[in-house]
Amino acid sequence: MYGEVANKLVQNAKRTQALAHLPPYQTEMVRAVTREVRDLDKDIKQILDPFQGSFNPSSEPATAAALLVNHLCMRRNKRCLLAYHRVRSDKLEEMCWNGIDVLERTQQQQANSGSGEGAGAMGVDGNTSSLSPEEEEYVRQYSDLLAAYKGQWTDIDLTGSLEPPKDLFIDVRVLKDAGEIQTEYGAITLTKNSQFYVRQGDVERLIAQGYLQRLS
Amino acid sequence: MDIDDILAEVTADAIPQEQKDLQQLTRSWVAERVAPELLAWPEELMERVLERIRKQIELVEDQTGNMDPKTNFKLIIIQTELERFKFLVRSFLRARLKKIDQHALHYKQQHEASQTTSTPLLSPNEYQYLTAHEALLSTHYTSSFLSQFPANLQRLDDTTGGVSMVDKPDEDAAVFVRALKDVGQIFVEGTEKKFEIRRGDVYVVRWSAIRRWVELGDLELI
Repeated sequence: MYGEVANKLVQNAKRTQALAHLPPYQTEMVRAVTREVRDLDKDIKQILDPFQGSFNPSSEPATAAALLVNHLCMRRNKRCLLAYHRVRSDKLEEMCWNGIDVLERTQQQQANSGSGEGAGAMGVDGNTSSLSPEEEEYVRQYSDLLAAYKGQWTDIDLTGSLEPPKDLFIDVRVLKDAGEIQTEYGAITLTKNSQFYVRQGDVERLIAQGYLQRLS
Repeated sequence: MDIDDILAEVTADAIPQEQKDLQQLTRSWVAERVAPELLAWPEELMERVLERIRKQIELVEDQTGNMDPKTNFKLIIIQTELERFKFLVRSFLRARLKKIDQHALHYKQQHEASQTTSTPLLSPNEYQYLTAHEALLSTHYTSSFLSQFPANLQRLDDTTGGVSMVDKPDEDAAVFVRALKDVGQIFVEGTEKKFEIRRGDVYVVRWSAIRRWVELGDLELI
């Protein structure tokens, strides 16, 4: 009671900031905090009930204090929940920007969760996805939004590298077969372990997706 | 007007528009990355820059078939320049988006207030993004937990209880500035500090104290 669970959620969010991946969504805790808020609200109503709307704080300092504490706790819980969800959605947005397909990744995790760490994450309802259904929906809509916004800047490629470009052409090594790509200098077939000297703008996506490695 | 001003005017006219734009773009880019607050959207500058990028891309596409070593070499220089321009614009836009995401509601209010002035804070695209993102986030919060809250606690821009829920950027953060013109006396609010900034000086000052001159272009952030 009085903000303990919410505190745990915030700690969880703080930890999340430092992690590369997204830890499982704490459905239970979120529910517990919302329940707490509702209970507190009920308490307030109960306390206020006998006064019939004519409550005077200065004549009943003790009751007023109780009400204040309940109110503040509710507000605090709300802030904690908002913070927790914000940290997670920020993280998801970052993944969208980096071109990581979050939904696909969670499905992969579900696929390999037969052994080891997957077993630990097996939630109450057997759902191994680390996202809540609401978050999945959010990711889907945010990627649409991002794609729409990016579409207005076709010449710039907003998700491109934020490192200042030094050379027009770079050396890359192919880590995974990526098939044939079209460049302004003709088509190149990217087969594993081969090395190319190509224009950076042409292969940036592939580097980000892990098909190519940049050689310095 | 003294001799420096006259000289400055003469040299400013001698620089071609393209070069001035690059200088301005670089300046806006640095300023946007350093300033704690979002700065007004440089509409005309961006239009010119984007137009030029588009033209250069067309030129490059036109001439890539050409295997003549001379034009080929020229193309490489153009492409390198193009990549650099694209980087500047991209980084600039991303810096703005980051700030917009961080203090969405605050900038929404500010933008709506600035819409009637000649320099709106956001570009139409950015405003669209902001509102769409804001709507997404609040539906996300609502469906995740807010819908189960008591009705008087469901708002996201509550100001009761003495604390505003709308987060603001830190306007008192310190920034480095260089003076492009004589600015005169600067008075830092809340302190006893007063000092004079002359052309060429570099200072570390609170953003809130010198914001006005940065917007005028008398100071540049570094």
